[in-house]
Amino acid sequence: MYSGPVIDCDVHHARNTDAELIEYLSKGWREYVTDRGPAGNVPLAVQDGFPNPHGFMRADTYPKGGGEPGSDYATMRAQLLDAQDVRRAILTFGDDSHVAGHHNPYFAAELARAMNDWSAERWLTQDPRLLSSIMVGSQLPDVAAAEVRRHAENSRMVQVMLVDNPFNRGFGHPVFHPIYAAAEETGRPVAIHGGAGGWANPPSTGGGSVSTYFETHVLWPQAIQTHLVSFIAHGVFEKYPGLRVVLIEGGSAWIPSLLWRFDTEYKGLRREVPWLKRLPSEYFARHVWVTSQPLEISPQKENVVELLRSMGLEDRLVYASDYPHWDADEIDYLSTRLPGDWHSRIFFDNACRLYGWKADELKLPGAVASTETR
Amino acid sequence: MRVDVGSIHDFEDRRVRIVQAGVLEVGVLRWRDRFFAVLNRCPHQKGPVCLGIVSGRLGGAAPGSMDVDDETPVLACPWHGWEFELERGRALWDESYAVKVVPVSIESGRVLLEVGRGRD
Repeated sequence: MYSGPVIDCDVHHARNTDAELIEYLSKGWREYVTDRGPAGNVPLAVQDGFPNPHGFMRADTYPKGGGEPGSDYATMRAQLLDAQDVRRAILTFGDDSHVAGHHNPYFAAELARAMNDWSAERWLTQDPRLLSSIMVGSQLPDVAAAEVRRHAENSRMVQVMLVDNPFNRGFGHPVFHPIYAAAEETGRPVAIHGGAGGWANPPSTGGGSVSTYFETHVLWPQAIQTHLVSFIAHGVFEKYPGLRVVLIEGGSAWIPSLLWRFDTEYKGLRREVPWLKRLPSEYFARHVWVTSQPLEISPQKENVVELLRSMGLEDRLVYASDYPHWDADEIDYLSTRLPGDWHSRIFFDNACRLYGWKADELKLPGAVASTETR
Repeated sequence: MRVDVGSIHDFEDRRVRIVQAGVLEVGVLRWRDRFFAVLNRCPHQKGPVCLGIVSGRLGGAAPGSMDVDDETPVLACPWHGWEFELERGRALWDESYAVKVVPVSIESGRVLLEVGRGRD
């Protein structure tokens, strides 16, 4: 079992009421949302997903005092932050993370701004271990870029997060580039979180729509694969050589086969993308990190380990619990599935490299407060 | 061994002509006043590389731009599209991977290939 320091790269924090978020909207948008009489508020979160027959949350994560899983700091602290030696936990929002699935781009931009302020004020003030993603309404890339820059001086707003896809184009498409320019300029990685399929705007899955949460959850890697291929083919890493990307909750065992295929295709189709200067796998090795959760469970654990090793992923995987979701990966369990000499890298060191943190300082007892980025 | 494979006038500009040089099948490219020659065998899956398209080397100074270096002829194998620059035969994506270059020279208007022991 691993008992060393941990950085958790995917922790979903949530709000209990609309009022929590409405407080952070501008006066006009507050009026827009709330002035509907008996109809209640305009929905703040996109609600068009597949239902999970078990519910999306671990039953034990509902706070004893009531409320949604992930909404109560004390519960999160007891179950996650203090349960092991968690030095940093990166917050990634709950249903609100689907803000780019809203049809109304102006509302989405305002919601994203409010969510970020809510996260900074309601959560980051509670515990120096907590850090937040910057959500953006990618429907309006220039506005999204401005939102990223608005947090440039707050080193605890550590990454720009993309989930839903408003344009039905892979995230490497130039329409998204203003966001990446801002991310590179402010030293923030871009986090691409799986799970957009089945929500309002994005396409579901490559070969056609599916019918159940079971199917869409199996196929979550498809959207992540699309975005990874798109990023590299469009030359995003040539245009923004300082940009880092982390792929969240899309699995990892598929990465070697995709990159082998990608490299081979590049050899024959380079003429279409002559701006690329390296093999796709080389861009991946320089710019991309991947969360551990959900680790694919092979019948023999050596099978998945060998696959990951074949692409050097022991140096690219970063631990993520996905707390408080139903499919969260526990540290104790994960450490039984991965070689012991990978543990410190995956649970701690790789995330330090991704976010530009000084691992030696962060390993010291009680060292949690400093969050200087590169 | 030097093999005379014809007059320079027998070779059309920007076209690969396949000639027999002893036991070897060689593709000879005329690129304006320069000549290049490679074995007609792709190192990948042994395909007839010299039947592929020839062009200047395509590049992109920035994502989305399409430029051509017309001083660097490139041959793309017809079987999988793998591209090789013809000066040294190297693949565009890996300098250690190459088609076999055959030394070519011009004397008195004749195209001469150097083939033989240790060269093929």
